[in-house]
Amino acid sequence: MKKFMMIFIGADYSELGLSPEDIQERMGKWFAWNQKMQEQGIVETGEALTPQVTRISGKDRTVTDNLALESKELVGGFYVFKAQDIEAAKKVAMDFPDFDLGGTVEVREVMVFDN
Amino acid sequence: MQQQLIDHLFRHHYGKMVSILTRIFGLAHLETIEDAVQDTFIKASLKWRTSIPKNPEAWLTTASKHRVLDIFRQIKSSKTRESLVSSSAEAMRMTEFFLDTEIEDSQLRMIFTACHPKLQQVDQIAFALKTVAGFSSKEIATALLTKEDTVKKRLSRARKHIQEKNIAFKIPMGNALPKRIESVLNVLYLIFNEGFHSNKQDILVRKELCGESIRLCKIILKNETIRTPSSYALFALMCFHAARMDSKIGLNNEVIDLKNQDRSLWYFPMIELGNSCMYKAMQTEHLTNYHFEAAIVCEHLKAASFNDTNWSSILNWYRQYVALYPSPMLYLNMVMVYLQLERYTDAKQLLNDLNVDDFNQRQYLYHGVWSEYYAVTGDSVNAIEALDKALVGVINKIEKQYLLKKRLELTSSRN
Repeated sequence: MKKFMMIFIGADYSELGLSPEDIQERMGKWFAWNQKMQEQGIVETGEALTPQVTRISGKDRTVTDNLALESKELVGGFYVFKAQDIEAAKKVAMDFPDFDLGGTVEVREVMVFDN
Repeated sequence: MQQQLIDHLFRHHYGKMVSILTRIFGLAHLETIEDAVQDTFIKASLKWRTSIPKNPEAWLTTASKHRVLDIFRQIKSSKTRESLVSSSAEAMRMTEFFLDTEIEDSQLRMIFTACHPKLQQVDQIAFALKTVAGFSSKEIATALLTKEDTVKKRLSRARKHIQEKNIAFKIPMGNALPKRIESVLNVLYLIFNEGFHSNKQDILVRKELCGESIRLCKIILKNETIRTPSSYALFALMCFHAARMDSKIGLNNEVIDLKNQDRSLWYFPMIELGNSCMYKAMQTEHLTNYHFEAAIVCEHLKAASFNDTNWSSILNWYRQYVALYPSPMLYLNMVMVYLQLERYTDAKQLLNDLNVDDFNQRQYLYHGVWSEYYAVTGDSVNAIEALDKALVGVINKIEKQYLLKKRLELTSSRN
C-alpha cells in the first residue's frame, strides 16, 4: 500500500451563494464519501481549512495577513489516505463531491525514503 | 452507519434561527443575522463531513446564537457602543426565546412582518420565501420563474421598506389583525398555487413550494388568537390539492386532467386531514374564496370515479362562489360543469355572456371551453376552429401539448 494526499482546491462554499438546502445536500455527499473511505479503512487523516490565508515569503519573511486569494485558487482541505497505486488513488478522488462547483482535486503520492 | 439528517433540516432551521435572532436583536440587524446563520451552516457542512452530532438541531442553534453574539461583540468593541446583550439577565431572557413555543411565535412574527401592507405583494412573497422558508435568491427565482436579479431587487426593496418605515417585528393587534391575517393567507395561497398550478418548473420545486406553504399554514393554525375559519379553509384546500399532486402529473411531466387521473394514487390521510379542517372552517357564516375552492375540490375527491362526480353539488358551490366573488374564470368553470350536467343550453348562454377580452393571457382557456362545448354537442368543425384559436394564445408548453392532443382526437374522430 502506498500513501497519497488529496488536496482540494476551489469551491469555497461561502463564495458561491449556496442555499441552506444546497449546503445540506453537499454535506450529505461529503459524509457519504467519507463513510465509504472509512469503511474501506483507507483514511489516515483529513482536515478542512478556514479560508483565512496568511502567507510568509521572501528572504525578508514578508508576512501578508488575510491574503486575498481568488476562491478558485484556495486550498479548502485535504485527506491523507492509502491506496494500492496511483490508479486506485485516482479512483478514490473521482468521488470528490464538489467538481460541479468548479472544485479541483490534486492527488499527490507521499514520498518514501529508503534507509 | 451513522444517522442521516432529516430532509430540509438546514432550510427549516434557517427560517427558525433568522426569526428568533431577529426577535432578539431587531429587524435593523436582519442582514447581519442572515449572514451569521448562513455562516453557521457552512461551518456545519464542513464539520459534519466526518461525523454528524447526536442532536444536529441543537448544535446549529447554539452555533448560530454564538455567531451572532460574536458579531455584536465585534460591533461593540469597534464602536464602543452599549452592548445589545449586556447583562446576564438579558442573556437568560435570550435563552427563553429558543424554547419551542417561542420559536413558533418568532416565525409567526416573521410571516406577519413579511406581509406588512407597506410592502408590495411580489416583495412580500420573495421576503417570506427567503426569511421564513430559507430559500436562496436563486431558488426563489426558479420557483417563481423570474431572474435571480429580480428576486434580489425585490428582497432589498423589502428590507429597505422595513427599515425606512420602521416596521415592527410583531403580530399586529386590534383592527389591523384581521386584515393582516388576510394578506398572510393570501401570500401562502399564492405560494401554494405557484407550486400546484404552474406546470413550468420541475416537480421537486413544485412540491417544495406546496410543502412550505402547508408548513407555514400549520404554524398559523396552532395559534389560537390568529387562526380563523378561513385559515382552516385554506389549509383544507391545500390538503385536498396536495393529496392528488402525484396523480396530476404524468411520467413526462404532462398534465393529467381530473377525468384521467389514477384515483388510487390519491393520498387519503391528507384528504382526511383536509376534511377535519373543513369541518372547523365551516364554523362561520362568512365564507371566503378558500372555503368555496376547498368545497369544490372536496366534491371531486368524494367521487370514486369521474363518472360518480356530483356535478349538481359542484354547480351549487360555484353559484355561491360567483355570487360573492364574480370573476370570468369562475364563470368559465361553471360552463364546464354545465357541460358535465348535459345542460348545453345553459352552457351556451353563459358562454355567450362572457367577453373574450376579460381573459387577458388566459383567452386560450375561453376558446378551449368553446371547443369543448362544440365537441360534446357534435359540432367538430367549430370545435376544431375554436381549438385553433386556443392554440394561438397558449404559451405554456405542457398546456399546448394537451390542446394538440385534443385536436388530434377531434380530427381523428371525424375521419
